[in-house]
Amino acid sequence: MHEYSIVQALYDTVVAQAASNHATRVHEVHVRIGELSGVDVGLLETAWKTFRVRTICEAAPLEVSRVAGDDLVLERVVLEVRDV
Amino acid sequence: MCDSCGCGDTNLVPIDVQQRILSDNDRTAAHNRHHFVERALLAINVMGSPGAGKTAVLEATARALHGRRLIGALAGDLATDHDARRLEAAGIRASSITTGSACHLDAAMVHHALHHMPWSDLDYLFVENVGNLVCPAVYDLGQAANVVVLSVTEGEDKPLKYPVMFHKADLVLISKIDLLPALPDISVDRIEESVRRVMPDPRVIVVSARTGAGIDEWLAWLAGQEPRVAASHTAMATPPAS
Repeated sequence: MHEYSIVQALYDTVVAQAASNHATRVHEVHVRIGELSGVDVGLLETAWKTFRVRTICEAAPLEVSRVAGDDLVLERVVLEVRDV
Repeated sequence: MCDSCGCGDTNLVPIDVQQRILSDNDRTAAHNRHHFVERALLAINVMGSPGAGKTAVLEATARALHGRRLIGALAGDLATDHDARRLEAAGIRASSITTGSACHLDAAMVHHALHHMPWSDLDYLFVENVGNLVCPAVYDLGQAANVVVLSVTEGEDKPLKYPVMFHKADLVLISKIDLLPALPDISVDRIEESVRRVMPDPRVIVVSARTGAGIDEWLAWLAGQEPRVAASHTAMATPPAS
């Protein structure tokens, strides 16, 4: 059950992206998970829902695209950025 | 829309990231690997189920290599330093990595452990991962090769049930073959067949740590990895042609 450790790393990366882009919230998180990545997508989604509570990611769904191979990649984030 | 109060509207901005989720671990693993190559040290990540015989194989390795190679080991377990003590008793310089509840080692744990054990004079460093056929396969530690220990008592189809670990293996050691006389329904051929179905470049050695069967072949495999490490070491020491 290393999915929590994976989500911790994912969360840290997403928050760093949000900070460097001056985002107020994270709207969507897109990841690419390979069949041979050793990650269970169901557990990953559960872990994400636990981690995001009361954070900048609270409302951000985790969109997972499953692929062949061993990819474990943060593809894209959609950030909410306020006009200034 | 909101141009009067000055609060500013929210825009949705997509950011293309395309970054490996474990990129922090990858960086630390690359750092470990750099150290290992710099010292021409062969680092092996030893994985397998709890009770597969990882420690016993390393004990047999140390006995057979006594006086020929300097061996060190980091032993990962959730609790206790029993494995490290066993390895020390076998003549291996050993340190334990107690993970608490974590089911695998990561590159930072290995890096931290190496700060507390002299290692730079070693010929071989074995990282005995936490007993687990799933999670350890996901984390690069900086090793030169992955070895999976699979005992004959675990069932012939284990590789099919846990394909990720065997997919990443450079070598599978089928262990405890001294028990085969007590296991009339188990066929080593069928275990090997399962390995071949999930391992891209199958390499299997059948061993018994108790009787020493197959240990010479395993040592030859290890020795066969040394030129690869030496070549990386030379490449690192040679400045690139300008």
